[in-house]
Amino acid sequence: MSRQTAGTAFTALLRRDFLLAYRRRAELLQPLMFLLVVVTLFPLGVGPSPGLLADIAPGVIWIAALLATVLSLDSLFRSDFEDGTLEQMVLSGQPLALIALARTVAHWLVAGLPIVLLSPLLAMWMNLPDEGLLILIESLAIGTPVLSLIGAIGGALTVSLKRGGQLLSLLVFPLYVPLLILATNAVSSAVAGLPYTGQLGLMIAGLIASLTLAPFATAAALKLSLT
Amino acid sequence: MNPIYLFFHKTGSPPWFYSFSGTLIPWLWAGFFIMAAYGLYLGLLVAPPDYQQGESVRIMYIHVPAAWMSMMIYGLMAIWGFIALVWRIRIMEVLIISSAPIGAAFTIIALTSGSLWGRPTWGTYWVWDARLTSELVLLFLYFGVIALYNAYDEPRKAAKAASLMAIVGAINLPIIHFSVVWWNTLHQGSSIGTSGSSIHPSMLWPLLWMAIAFKFFYGANLLSRARVRLLKQDHRKRWVQDLLTEGKS
Amino acid sequence: MSHTPFILAAYLICTVVLLWAALSPVINRLGLLRQLKNRHARMDKA
Repeated sequence: MSRQTAGTAFTALLRRDFLLAYRRRAELLQPLMFLLVVVTLFPLGVGPSPGLLADIAPGVIWIAALLATVLSLDSLFRSDFEDGTLEQMVLSGQPLALIALARTVAHWLVAGLPIVLLSPLLAMWMNLPDEGLLILIESLAIGTPVLSLIGAIGGALTVSLKRGGQLLSLLVFPLYVPLLILATNAVSSAVAGLPYTGQLGLMIAGLIASLTLAPFATAAALKLSLT
Repeated sequence: MNPIYLFFHKTGSPPWFYSFSGTLIPWLWAGFFIMAAYGLYLGLLVAPPDYQQGESVRIMYIHVPAAWMSMMIYGLMAIWGFIALVWRIRIMEVLIISSAPIGAAFTIIALTSGSLWGRPTWGTYWVWDARLTSELVLLFLYFGVIALYNAYDEPRKAAKAASLMAIVGAINLPIIHFSVVWWNTLHQGSSIGTSGSSIHPSMLWPLLWMAIAFKFFYGANLLSRARVRLLKQDHRKRWVQDLLTEGKS
Repeated sequence: MSHTPFILAAYLICTVVLLWAALSPVINRLGLLRQLKNRHARMDKA
């Protein structure tokens, strides 16, 4: 087998993940449909009063994004684990953290980015005032990669477990709490005309931190799951 | 043998259905284009703007027919689903799953055109009234049937599951129809019914022409999709092989 | 507020969606026929 640089391995993995995602695209649309359905359930449950919906909009949209992301995380490593590809990747000699990062990037592009793109629709349904829309999109654009990065750790930890999916949510939701608080607070502040740059700044710091650290944790978790 | 019975019996045969629908499709497209052209001519150029709503009422000429189609198609899917489950006729299964994306498309058209109609006339893109909400739920039902079908590997099993789902979901349809009566909402009261309508004829005719045009669209699109699906499902069978070797039709 | 952009947008979306609906079986059919022809050619060569 020819020597590969880490860079080409990264792009090769990305390309493979996109090809696999394209073949399973009906499956990948399900978390997004779930996102739409969950947001729709809130007005049906709490009543369509526009003021109430506007108040809870940032939280509802963000929680729906969390739920949809967790749904899509369960299968992040599972099929590769089951057919042995994951083991081959670990044995390949390429830095495992890079492999984990490639998988996470692919996941965000396929599962997280669509959430960002759908957010204006969700904002309309939840009556979010116009002042909050841009900040909502920004908070999701910064936050969904963090969801993918941290979620990958959870996915790697639970991939070898039978009922991994439920445990995954349990593991990952507490880790998401700071992000949820910062993001919803940023949007609510923007709507109220209060400053929100501090919250966004902290979120960006969180993104950088998870970008540099999470892949290593994911790699360690993958090695653990494979032993 | 009764010719009608014979006709339906023949449609159960994939190769016969394939060639018969092939001859029908161009006529259906012709019908769609002619009626849509006439309907749009009446709706956009001849009909007057509404006294209260102004020009935006012209959106009604695609919004209402699309909404009608979205419900009709789901109803057909449920009825055919019942037939398919009881009599296990494969062509019905193909028609059901071929209808679903078309129904979803009309639902999306109804929702988006309704949203754009609502903004200039009632000030808001979206409101959670009973009818709009039911239409959105209908869209989710369509997505669910499509996703359910795609989740199964085996086509006949998938079709059974989708049929069941369609029947269960058909409970939604009466709710949409009666929602305007049951709830006092923002949405316009039911103005077309069996007791005569309260829409001025100059607006009613374009509406009806567009409604019929959409039915022709549905017919043409449904048969096109059904034919492709039959080819895919039967690609190993003799009739498809023969079709391939004799050059495409 | 002028109603025209809303009317145009509504009709445009309708056209795009119907166009997609009408064309997707055509595209699928072409792809399928190409696939089947290739498979046939390979089987005939074998």
